[in-house]
Amino acid sequence: MGRYLTRKLIIYIITFLFAVTLNWAVPRFAPGDPIKMLLSRFEVMEGGKDILESFFVKTFGLDRSPLQQYVGFWRSLFAGDLGVSISQYPKSVFNIIRGAIIYDFIILLPAIILSWIIGNKLGAFSGVNKKADNFLMPVFYFLTSSPYFWFALVISYVFGIVLGLFPTSHAYSATMRPGWTLAFIWDFFLHWFMPFLSLFLVQLGGWAIGMRNMIIYETNTNYAKYMESLGATERLIRNYGFRNGILPQVTGLAISLGTIVSGAVLTQMVFSYPGLGYLMVQAIKQNDYFLIQGCFLFLIIMVLLANFVIDIIYMFIDPRVRHSYSGEV
Amino acid sequence: MAVKDFWKRHENLYFAVSNKKVILGVTVFLAIVALAIFGPMVTPYDYEEFAGRGYQPPSKEHWFGTTIMGRDVFTQVVFGLRSTLLVGFLAGTIASAIGLVVGFVSGFFSGKAPDEGLMALTNIFMVIPSLTLLIILSAYLPYRGIATQAIIVAATAWPWTARAVRSQTLSLKSQEFVNLSRISAAPTFRIIREDIAANMFSYVFMVYILQFNGTILSSVGLEFLGLGPTRGISLGLVLQNAVNWNALHLGMWWWTIIPGLILTLMIVSLYFINTGLDEVFNPRLREM
Amino acid sequence: MKARWIVLAVVLSLALGSTAALAAERYETLIVGGGTWSAATSWNPLYPNNTNGTVGLVYETLFGYDPLTNQHKPWLAEEGKWISDDVYEVKLRPGIYFSDGQPLTAVDVVFTYELARDNNLTYSPIWRTLKEVKALNLDTVQFVFENPSYQEWQIELYSRAILPKHIWKDVPGEDLMVIANDNPVGSGPYKKLLAGPDRNVWVRDDNWWGNKVFGQPKPKEIVDMIIYENNVALGMLMQRTLDLSNYFIPGVPAIKNLYGLTTWFDGPPYMLPANVAMLILNVNRPPLDDAQFRRALAFAVNPQTIVERVFENMVPLCDSTGLFGGWTAYRDAEVAEKHGFWYDPAIASQMLDEAGYVDLDGDGWRDMPDGSAIQFEIIVPAGWTDWMESIRIIAEAFRAIGVNANPAFPDQALYEQRMQTGNFDMLINNYGSGISGSPYSYWNWVANHNIHREYVTEGNFGRYDNQELFDLIFEFNQLPPLSDESLAVASKIQEILLVDMPSIPFWLNGMWAQMTSQYWTNWPTEDNPIGRPCSWGNQWQFGAIDMLINLQPAR
Repeated sequence: MGRYLTRKLIIYIITFLFAVTLNWAVPRFAPGDPIKMLLSRFEVMEGGKDILESFFVKTFGLDRSPLQQYVGFWRSLFAGDLGVSISQYPKSVFNIIRGAIIYDFIILLPAIILSWIIGNKLGAFSGVNKKADNFLMPVFYFLTSSPYFWFALVISYVFGIVLGLFPTSHAYSATMRPGWTLAFIWDFFLHWFMPFLSLFLVQLGGWAIGMRNMIIYETNTNYAKYMESLGATERLIRNYGFRNGILPQVTGLAISLGTIVSGAVLTQMVFSYPGLGYLMVQAIKQNDYFLIQGCFLFLIIMVLLANFVIDIIYMFIDPRVRHSYSGEV
Repeated sequence: MAVKDFWKRHENLYFAVSNKKVILGVTVFLAIVALAIFGPMVTPYDYEEFAGRGYQPPSKEHWFGTTIMGRDVFTQVVFGLRSTLLVGFLAGTIASAIGLVVGFVSGFFSGKAPDEGLMALTNIFMVIPSLTLLIILSAYLPYRGIATQAIIVAATAWPWTARAVRSQTLSLKSQEFVNLSRISAAPTFRIIREDIAANMFSYVFMVYILQFNGTILSSVGLEFLGLGPTRGISLGLVLQNAVNWNALHLGMWWWTIIPGLILTLMIVSLYFINTGLDEVFNPRLREM
Repeated sequence: MKARWIVLAVVLSLALGSTAALAAERYETLIVGGGTWSAATSWNPLYPNNTNGTVGLVYETLFGYDPLTNQHKPWLAEEGKWISDDVYEVKLRPGIYFSDGQPLTAVDVVFTYELARDNNLTYSPIWRTLKEVKALNLDTVQFVFENPSYQEWQIELYSRAILPKHIWKDVPGEDLMVIANDNPVGSGPYKKLLAGPDRNVWVRDDNWWGNKVFGQPKPKEIVDMIIYENNVALGMLMQRTLDLSNYFIPGVPAIKNLYGLTTWFDGPPYMLPANVAMLILNVNRPPLDDAQFRRALAFAVNPQTIVERVFENMVPLCDSTGLFGGWTAYRDAEVAEKHGFWYDPAIASQMLDEAGYVDLDGDGWRDMPDGSAIQFEIIVPAGWTDWMESIRIIAEAFRAIGVNANPAFPDQALYEQRMQTGNFDMLINNYGSGISGSPYSYWNWVANHNIHREYVTEGNFGRYDNQELFDLIFEFNQLPPLSDESLAVASKIQEILLVDMPSIPFWLNGMWAQMTSQYWTNWPTEDNPIGRPCSWGNQWQFGAIDMLINLQPAR
């Protein structure tokens, strides 16, 4: 058990180092100097841009050699310093991310958890109920097959503009001030609903299909047949099937976390909902090295942490894992 | 040869052509492929040409209506479909290939050095948020054609395949016929090729379908963010344009809904084929 | 189940902070969008990329500027004039004060300028000609120049935010551009209320000094929303959660009446012009080094097609000289008549034939006189949809006269790098052609002299090198506005630009503005031209404050 966790931990550390390095290097060797980009759009007095340019180059230490910059990057990272954004100067990357990341959690956590739970339940139901399956399976497939942003846009248009049930954008109304009032929480909820719903529904399809197939598979295995012949109730067999089927689903959750987290970018674009994703797209378009690094770092950490938690959970629900590292399966 | 013998020999094929899901899926998919092949020949317009007045709903002249500027949506869709299918084909192939090779090799050498290395690599790619990596990668390639896009998408799509194939290989490896080959001292490569790979053909085919779908959806997402191909047209670009030019809000449902539905239908049809084939290759499921 | 709710509650509490809820009345809140693309950065007027609204809403300038009438509007200054060739005197309004109650006097004006003398700030170059700034008394400031740049001064007058000395005198020199200035104290009608990741909120300062002079702005709060996509802005207009949108929104002419949207003009061109969209030609790439070739290209394009198809008549065409708004006072009709261009592909073909650019190898495309092929790429950033469509039309027009040109859409970062390093054939750009108090800013951008360097950032991306023109632009800057000499020099500049045509002005990008009347009425329009409906950065002093004062709540 200890060996299992140690191994996982080492893999995560390697992943972390690799991803962070990659993410440090790619923007720097890509075309487009962030400072020049920023300068070209300022309207300042003739000669003012040269003054700004030398100011920036000095401020961001971009006149140092790449190696010095790389070493400096790790050094400040361990000091907890993510640097200062170029495009949003003089804000620190950490503060920018802190202001946005909470919105990722608010949308992503419920969408991931609820879609996984409900998706698995619905899938299991569909797997054992032929009649329901004929209707549900195409629905699941539709949900998982439609391009997310297209689906979200249609939802936003129908529920927001045609029916006028929900606001189409932002985290809360312009006239609202954040606080623990009923009015604000309700307003926040209304704004949160469509981004949540779209992410929830799209993911729901995938989980449901996975579980449906798993259940059908399990209820047709030899052991299920054997149990049946022993006179076990259908319900009991189904429960066994569900329990076996849930294991690959947990793995699936771990595997797809990266994709889901990234998918939030699209949600934020469609609903102009704040969050890391939009921040990163903007940072990339402006080639803001420090902000790209910071966003990426946070995403990686989030995904790694979630994976680690899932690994631990997996260890408890599947005893085989504990043994798998002491010998061949 | 008698017909009966033929079906007996190709039992799987028989179940495949008689499986309702497969039939439905193949029909829809072929119809869409036909649209991609023949559509561009049928249409009198070019996809960049101003074919008529803007804001026109579907009509005899413009089957899928026109865009805000008067381009023909049908033409855009059929040309776009070609590139989208091509992206799916290329990216799906690359991703499946990488995934299969990595999965096979590490499964075959399970527990040994190649396995450890490859699985570490796979895990790295798996936890890196894929769209994020795609955004970063694609933002730095000056011009992106379809091939570039396919490679970018494939680069982040293969890990799950590698893991799935690895465990499949593991379970096959422990089966008796492989052990027999080993005892007879057959070369490693031949074992992989003749015993394991051959037995996994059905599995590979289904992996390919899933990769095809997944990579198409990833590329469409990239295109929406403005990180798709910088030239040409694709279904994702048609949709992105529809969004950018406010098609839905301006009441041009034909410009938004039709391309999106075609794309969705295409992917659904492939899933149907996939599920159907699953039933074919796993006889136990047929009773359903 | 319960645990999950607790987690959610904790998460929520982190997000919301402890600020008390206080819902402002919707009818007292003005919601705008279009000028802000990322969360608030700083409220430091010395740093040019400060939060939209910092200058205009919080900090004020000596003058405002009305692009419609080309008049400087006395703001902090009661009046200002050249009292001799080298001395500009500003008389401040009496009784101006900052939001902390401290008076704003000549001392603060002098301080603001001396700050740039003693430190490296973006307006430090003013001291190349400025010799002294002195306060004669608390109301009067004299700017003493040597060979003043009269034209640039026209722009300077409405650009510089006057800082409170009592606060900024303690900021160390090296921190002047660095500090975020989180609690800005200015003299303006609004104060910073809060800044979130998707909005900035400004609250009215009810003690604003200008209430007695100009009247009180009506909105109690201004909420500047960050909106990522124009279709979201349109959705918000439809839902009435946005009062003033300054986005380019396709389809506005089609749905304007259906959804009750107001635009400046009721019919075409709907929008006021904001800047010139130029086709910039790289004169170092043959045959673009040939003025005859460049001029021929100007005749080949029908900008009306672009205006109609891409912009749905929401923008006007552009004069051959590129001059619009107040700049037209310098337009030389004779020169424009003689050297101007218009759409006539026959003339374009004829000019190319004469210059020897004909199809030599019979492939359908014109070649260089020496037989080598001509091929161009026109670039705009990927995703800039209106420009992408525009260059498709332009490339098509060039191909129609046998010039092989194709559109291409690199990502913005690459586009800018290629633009700045001169690594392109043709591109569309407008970064420095925005409306201003003097055509000097336009010409100094179109034909900037600072081109012999690796990265060109101040304009003239095509690196058109003509010392005579550079000297003329420099000379123009040194001549009093609308003096006979300045008009004469302006004519020469126009003539050179038209004859040599280093870049081609095709259309005027709009000052996009769509207004809804559910909560606010009396918007500035063609029939009610008080103020300018624009919430873009550094343009609040272009009449947006007047708009705020004249708005009427709908209830």
